Amino acid sequence: MPIYVYGMNHASAPLEVRERIAFPEDGLVEAVGRLVAIGPVKEGLILSTCNRTEIVVHAPADASAVLKAFLVEERRAASEELDRHCYLRADGDAVRHLFRVASSLDSMILGEAQILGQVKEAYSAAVRGRGIGTVLDALMQRSFAVAKKVRTETGVSRFPVSIAHAAVSLARDIFGELHDRVGLIVGAGKMGRLAAQHLMASGVRTVIVVNRSLVRGAELARELKGVTAEWDRRFEAMERADIVIASTAAPHAVIGFDDVLRVSRARRGRPLFFIDIAVPRDVDPRVNSIDNVYLYDVDDLQGVVQANLEERRHEAESAEAIVEREVAAYLGWLRSLDVAPLIVDLREHVRNVGAHELARFRSRLGALTPQQQKTVEEMTEALVNKFLHHPIQAMKRIAANGGGDRLTFLREVFGLSAGEPRRETGRPGATVEGRDAAPHHPESSGAEAKLGAVEALSGEPDDPR
Amino acid sequence: MDRSLLLFRVALLLYALAFVNTLIPMLSGRRRTVRFTPWIAAAGACAHTGALVALGLALDRCPIGTLPEVLSVLAWTTVLIYVVLVWRYRIEVLHAIILPLVLVVLFVSDLLPEQVVPIAAPLQPWLRPLHLFVIILGVAALFITFAASLVYVLVDRALKAKRPARFVLALPSLDRCEGVGRTSLFWAYLLLTLGIITGAIFNASLYGHFWAWKPRETLAILSWMILGVVVVARLGWGWRGRKAALLTIVGFAAVFLRMLGI
Repeated sequence: MPIYVYGMNHASAPLEVRERIAFPEDGLVEAVGRLVAIGPVKEGLILSTCNRTEIVVHAPADASAVLKAFLVEERRAASEELDRHCYLRADGDAVRHLFRVASSLDSMILGEAQILGQVKEAYSAAVRGRGIGTVLDALMQRSFAVAKKVRTETGVSRFPVSIAHAAVSLARDIFGELHDRVGLIVGAGKMGRLAAQHLMASGVRTVIVVNRSLVRGAELARELKGVTAEWDRRFEAMERADIVIASTAAPHAVIGFDDVLRVSRARRGRPLFFIDIAVPRDVDPRVNSIDNVYLYDVDDLQGVVQANLEERRHEAESAEAIVEREVAAYLGWLRSLDVAPLIVDLREHVRNVGAHELARFRSRLGALTPQQQKTVEEMTEALVNKFLHHPIQAMKRIAANGGGDRLTFLREVFGLSAGEPRRETGRPGATVEGRDAAPHHPESSGAEAKLGAVEALSGEPDDPR
Repeated sequence: MDRSLLLFRVALLLYALAFVNTLIPMLSGRRRTVRFTPWIAAAGACAHTGALVALGLALDRCPIGTLPEVLSVLAWTTVLIYVVLVWRYRIEVLHAIILPLVLVVLFVSDLLPEQVVPIAAPLQPWLRPLHLFVIILGVAALFITFAASLVYVLVDRALKAKRPARFVLALPSLDRCEGVGRTSLFWAYLLLTLGIITGAIFNASLYGHFWAWKPRETLAILSWMILGVVVVARLGWGWRGRKAALLTIVGFAAVFLRMLGI
């Protein structure tokens, strides 16, 4: 199964190169069209994000030279530059690479969620550019499934690895859903504004803004559809709030231990969560020792993020194991496809024999009612299926384990000629109908034969009656 | 009797399996199988139901007669409540606390000899099972309260230590623990109070007096009062958070000790 991945990622090329090579989004469909118009390329897909540009193709022979030429042509890249930064992965390695990319194991931020969406977009662009045939289609569908599996079965995407997300995640650990919670923004500066927006995006509906300058505070409050309170009454506001984000430019703590102790008593033990993103810090660190009050400053959040990253790296090990298993399963499946044309041929051959013999003996049966006629036909069909069941099962097993020679032998045994064009086009070299200029057998385009072959594999009943 | 014993062992095995299943991700990092835990536990509860019915049929009475039977019914009730809670509120972490508790109760029940408490022929055959069943429901609810409070304390500690709990099981939020703990505490106290009242009536019908200050009765009323303090603090004064959770754990311990020494 000649599948190739050619391209560069964040590890192999600096941003400055990546951004020049990246394909613009709006021209992607056309680019795929030009890609598959190249002679040896039968199917193709272009994955282009800010962290990687990769071309995935199905081509019968080594395609690296062609793909390099394509990139040189398309992106005006220098040939030596590509030599320096690009990698080529073939067959099993290509499949593994694609699975790892889709599962976000190859991402700059391990386990980030966007890449799967980007891969899906690349796939849909490739479909529109008529670059997707049966081989890449199966491969891409499989890689989506693998990505989903990795996501649900391992913790590689589980814990947040940005400070903002870590803070929201902590708030959820305390309060559960944030809808009914009240946020208090102390300091209406740029950081405060960003944090408030993030908080509201996470579900908090009500915010109170407190700022030394009431005017600026009111401005931000209006923008967030919240309310504002005077600076001197910030502790009263704190009694109503659940999440406090402090980000003033004050040179010393503006929220002291005794103040929070008083607030906490008034709250009768309802939890209060301080997020102190100011440097120097706004909240007295001792506040964290008060019962039901939780304080996280920038360093604490950074620590959480580091721990989460560590966790993701740990989880990535089991994710790699999943990918490895899936690659093996996929390659086995691909090999079993080799047998599909043989199965189709064999079934057709035996069916023809059955139909022929039925026609020959039909006259001797005399007049039959439609019911009887149907029964005789059904019997012939059942005979064919029953006879073929075990041979077909055995062929699938042999093919999945990579026994190509033995399949040739089987062809000989059953008297199926090996030189039919169908067999050639039915191999995983099948292309989308009408796009490939190569001559086909008039009755069966590659895609049709392939479809028949896939049906032959999946439609076989396990227990013939 | 044999059939009920067999079913009982099956239930015990399934509960144990469910518990081991919660440990798998902590040992091997594979999280996939954890979600089957409530199903395994529910299957155990089914076998347990069968065991109780078979026992009741064999004895030709309600199977809440002896201490082992009471404990068995308690474990059964707890598992049922736990399964419902997990399905309704997604508090998976309850596995890790409720299942060992259930196993302990069942092992004790299994180890105790039959007929520990010889019962005088009850004048009212339904009053004693009713009294015991109300208490059992109350204690089962209190198990949940205990589990929720324990999780609260654990999550609180992790948050204070700036190391958000990285258990393999998703931990519920403090808010959720608080809510479940409070609700279950309310029901537990209501049922236990009812249990003491029915117990007094039972006494009256059996011995002709409501209360005799026998050690078991004294202990019962004492643990009930300790729990009462917790209830007043949490539901009356609106105590919340860590201290309330710790206090609840103390109250639970009092009731649990009293119960094991029925």
